Amino acid sequence: MATTAQLTLNSGDIAGDPVNVTKLMTLTKAGTTNDLDQSSGLNRVHLRSTTNKVLLAANAEGNDLAAKVYIINKSEDASLYVTVTINAQTIGKLYGGDFLFIPWSQTDTDADIEIAATNWTSSTGDIPVEYALFHEDTDFLTNA
Amino acid sequence: MATTTAQLVLTSTDLLSDSLSLSAIATLTGAGNSTGLTNTGGLARKTTESASQYTLFAAASYTDDKAHKIYLKNMETSAGLYFLISIHDVEVGRIYAGDWALIPWSADTTSDHADFKITPSTNASHTLEYMIIHE
Repeated sequence: MATTAQLTLNSGDIAGDPVNVTKLMTLTKAGTTNDLDQSSGLNRVHLRSTTNKVLLAANAEGNDLAAKVYIINKSEDASLYVTVTINAQTIGKLYGGDFLFIPWSQTDTDADIEIAATNWTSSTGDIPVEYALFHEDTDFLTNA
Repeated sequence: MATTTAQLVLTSTDLLSDSLSLSAIATLTGAGNSTGLTNTGGLARKTTESASQYTLFAAASYTDDKAHKIYLKNMETSAGLYFLISIHDVEVGRIYAGDWALIPWSADTTSDHADFKITPSTNASHTLEYMIIHE
């Protein structure tokens, strides 16, 4: 039951020599070679909130188990960004077209992954955001 | 202006009852504009031999509130060896042996400095490869 994620970072001109990094990983459970076997599937929301909204609710049972989160800002407007927060700490911002792929520890029930369309206004239009969670806790039902 | 792209391909034939095949490609640009990110720390490697927390990137060394991207890969092959990623004092998650991550980072210095930190799982040798692409 293997799920793989491959990242390719490529640039011919950001440095004196080209950058070309390609890495493939198999998504596995914490500390084992057993494959992750649970997924939220690919979800899509249309964000129009300047305040934080819970995208993925942490579950204490997931503490320190392996989980991987994919989030992409599908806006085609480079200026529209989504602020990603865990436990009130800003992690980073996804501008139009940006994605992240991160591990998620769910240290406690405060470790929700939240997003906000920080510079959204009624005239900018919604920000489409797609996301998926891959995880190992069979009791973990989130964001129904 | 430099052009740097990041492509993700997620694939599974048996996680769900239908095949999963997801691809995303992003051109890494500055905050709120379409100008390509122009700076990088280059691909680097760090081997730790202590379970102490290390600051990989100090927020004060980068421009606050920008569209920085950080790539990390745990080069270990023993499944139990991980790096815990933290930003300021918040745990993000663990990258286990062979795992990689691509993380946006704001380098926020408006309140507490959002330093980017790693903590190896044990005192055993742990090797990490990493790269920052930044404004």
